[in-house]
Amino acid sequence: MSAKLYALGTHLPGDVETPATLAELAALLRACNETGRAAVLFGGRTLQGLGAVPKRYDVAIDCTRLDRVIEHEPRDLTIALEAGCRVATLDAVLAACGQFVPLDAPRAAAATIGGTLASGWLGPRRATYGRARDFVIGTIVALADGTIAKAGGMVVKNVTGYDLSKLYVGSLGTLAAIGQANFKTLPLPSVRRLAVAPLPEGSRARTTANIAALATEPAAALIVTGFAKEIDAPSGVDGCLVLLLEGSERTVDAATRELRSALGAAGVPQTRLIDREAGFAFARVLDAYVETLGSRSMTYRSLGLPSDTTPRIDAFARVARANRLTLETIEDVRTGDVIARLSARLVADFATRAKLFDGERRTALAEARILVAPEKLRAGLDAWGAPAASLPLMRTLKSRFDPNGTLAPGRYVGGI
Amino acid sequence: MLTVAADRLRDELTLALGPGGVLTAPEDLAAYAFDAYSDARLPVAAALPRDAHEVAAVVRIARAHGEPIVARGAGTGLCGGAVPVTGGVVLSLARMNRILSLDARNRIARVQPGVINLDLSRAAAPDGLFFGPDPSSQRISMLGGNAATNAGGPHAFAYGSMSAHVIGLEFVDEAGDITWVTIDDAGYDITGVLVGSEGTLGILTALELRLLRTPRAVRVCVAAFDGVEAASECVSSIVAAGIAATALEIMDRTIVRAVEAHYRAGYPQEAGAVLLVEVAGESPDVEASERAIAALARDCGTLAWRSASSAREREALWAARKGAAGALGRIAPNYYIQDATVPRTRLPQAIARVEAIAREHRLPVGNVFHAGDGNLHPLLIFDRREQRQLDAVVAAGHDILAACIDLGGTISGEHGIGYEKRETLPLVFSADDIATMERLRGAFDPARGFNPDKIFPSGAVCGEVRTPSPTLSHA
Ligand SMILES: Cc1cc2nc3c(=O)[nH]c(=O)nc-3n(C[C@H](O)[C@H](O)[C@H](O)COP(=O)(O)OP(=O)(O)OC[C@H]3O[C@@H](n4cnc5c(N)ncnc54)[C@H](O)[C@@H]3O)c2cc1C
Repeated sequence: MSAKLYALGTHLPGDVETPATLAELAALLRACNETGRAAVLFGGRTLQGLGAVPKRYDVAIDCTRLDRVIEHEPRDLTIALEAGCRVATLDAVLAACGQFVPLDAPRAAAATIGGTLASGWLGPRRATYGRARDFVIGTIVALADGTIAKAGGMVVKNVTGYDLSKLYVGSLGTLAAIGQANFKTLPLPSVRRLAVAPLPEGSRARTTANIAALATEPAAALIVTGFAKEIDAPSGVDGCLVLLLEGSERTVDAATRELRSALGAAGVPQTRLIDREAGFAFARVLDAYVETLGSRSMTYRSLGLPSDTTPRIDAFARVARANRLTLETIEDVRTGDVIARLSARLVADFATRAKLFDGERRTALAEARILVAPEKLRAGLDAWGAPAASLPLMRTLKSRFDPNGTLAPGRYVGGI
Repeated sequence: MLTVAADRLRDELTLALGPGGVLTAPEDLAAYAFDAYSDARLPVAAALPRDAHEVAAVVRIARAHGEPIVARGAGTGLCGGAVPVTGGVVLSLARMNRILSLDARNRIARVQPGVINLDLSRAAAPDGLFFGPDPSSQRISMLGGNAATNAGGPHAFAYGSMSAHVIGLEFVDEAGDITWVTIDDAGYDITGVLVGSEGTLGILTALELRLLRTPRAVRVCVAAFDGVEAASECVSSIVAAGIAATALEIMDRTIVRAVEAHYRAGYPQEAGAVLLVEVAGESPDVEASERAIAALARDCGTLAWRSASSAREREALWAARKGAAGALGRIAPNYYIQDATVPRTRLPQAIARVEAIAREHRLPVGNVFHAGDGNLHPLLIFDRREQRQLDAVVAAGHDILAACIDLGGTISGEHGIGYEKRETLPLVFSADDIATMERLRGAFDPARGFNPDKIFPSGAVCGEVRTPSPTLSHA
């Protein structure tokens, strides 16, 4: 394996390891831990830009050979897989028996289960189905000292001991290496339909309000501005509504009728419906969350309430304008997420403007964090935004789980 | 605790909370010595703070005195979680019972931990919203207790247990500091691990909860079967077919008769078991699901199928189901409710094992449970005045847990480990697994002042801890 693939910031790893079993993974970690080498875990490398650049980095551990489906009992609606399984594999195995887990990972063919969970990935359908964390019913991890530890199990309801899986999800490989994850699944809706509508000038606020009032809630509702390459649709002046309907045929048809009249009332004349390719088209929108324009773009995620997306988008726009960056956004009407991609036309201009932007947004958008940024710039940007009140507790947790700082030291919040 | 030291502790608490905020008389403390599982020792004092600052004061004072702190909601817990096993200070959240805000637009409620579960759904109803988790104790149990136990209930099948609904919380830590955390914080999911931590990591002083939209159409149906196994078979096939029911609850004949004696809700009393089915959502879907479920029930040999025709009838069926344990309490001298989960396809086998174990120990058993989740609740009926029965009930409880583990399940689906199952934990988890959980605990509470005798096996610790045994027999 070429070490270049595993470059982080300006670091190259000394070694690249590719364990094929959980025991091998644990042994590798133990060896690093005992020799004071820092290890960074890799999945599909789709979200490797999350977090800060590690302070120390000696060994890259690529988990993609841990790719077995361990246990799948369709009638129980549960599945257990090794962490290196691709999300697309999970989707395919489950779809074959009419089920799914709503992970909404971008670049699902490359993304792994472990990486998606460790990154704490939040998809747009969580407003309807719940978060990835709520579908994890058990995990097996390797700690930095090589301990293999299980939490939860293969049952859908379980309060036996602490729910440590919650801790590992979103910990970005700084507490433990996720070796296996067990999920509960959902029955796949029989119909998926994507409705795409360009929003004419002045129609956005009413569109958002009318969507929030729909009697049949969409599985996801996004207003995309820009991202022309990813969203294969003409955009209106106010962006483009991308709305996913899921359910039985009758419900989706009824929802479509309701949606058309809600949009009509908001002054949105045309809606295109995508049926057969709905899944594919929606996946492209998810990809847009992490799609870069080479080294001349970076993307933030701002979390907040559905009712306060507008002021956050305005703040992005203001700071972007001040620094002569182009802004593209995805507003998630149901969850309140705002995804913002900032870019410059020329790579040469981008670095300085991006740094200035990042400095200024720390007041207006303190909560926003970076999803992707050019590898060379990352060290100069604030990946995490303002730290949470619980930061001291997080440091203590780190010191309990990884006292030697073996796992991606410095990558996490507050330099953890 | 020495009398002098105890007096000093009580004085300090009284100074911090005022005389109305502290109970010290034995007759008052008796109410804080038990939960719905068992009783144990009287605490040194019971503190009833009115806000997070008072909670923090109680924590600091108890800490300074080296006394354990046992948080208490409504005391409906079924695993001894709120029982002050080794004395100390019981910290009751009952006076912190305000709904702080209800944001209908974003579907979020902020509540104090002493708010009764059902009161939140009542308050949200005018906005067309409700709170998902509905433990059968929802008329009395408190949201703080629900969060601390990661409570489930009949609708956990559709909406998930508490952890899927708590999106933020405020807690008081071992140093007496107050911190707000949310699941959207950048960093570790502190919210996620505090939910279900059974009072061992900190005291929850406020919760931010997700509310759900009230479904437009709801149907409740009752199917009768000749036994629990057949009913369980039906549930397994409904789940496997992916039909979106919102609740699938089973009661056996023993429970149905107890329930009907009290509620007269119209459950068939001759059947060996009944299955309560709820489907909710969009009306065409609801009708289609009901038809599909009725067909599966026929395939599984249902003896009768009835669909509630009015909202009143639906509510009566639910009230009776949620009152089942209480109704049994009226006719049985004592009962011991177990809580275990198995993979859903294993339900019929698990039920067969439960019945065999009860027979072996010569104990009558009733079954009322959240079948859709594979969550069993055998109720072993006994008379605590008879030592043989008391011994048998403890042994049978253990055998049931072992049988469920054997079937790929676990020892608690929703009630928690608490005091009751702490010594059983090693049947499910290895020493390494448990040591990893201890790392979490060590980060929050290295001195183990919060609910010290719960969840974790006592291990090498000696001393004369009285083993509580099940005494539950109230409504
Ligand atoms: C008739 C009956 C039916 C029941 N049905 C169900 C059911 O369907 N589903 C279900 O899940 N449970 C059920 N239960 C069990 C019980 O009601 C739940 O466990 C409930 O969540 C406990 O809430 P409580 O307020 O009574 O908490 P308590 O019993 O007072 O405390 C429970 C635990 O939480 C801790 N705790 C309480 N409040 C706090 C706080 N603010 N901060 C930190 N720790 C705290 C306590 O220390 C203890 O460990 C039932 C009980 C009864 C008696």
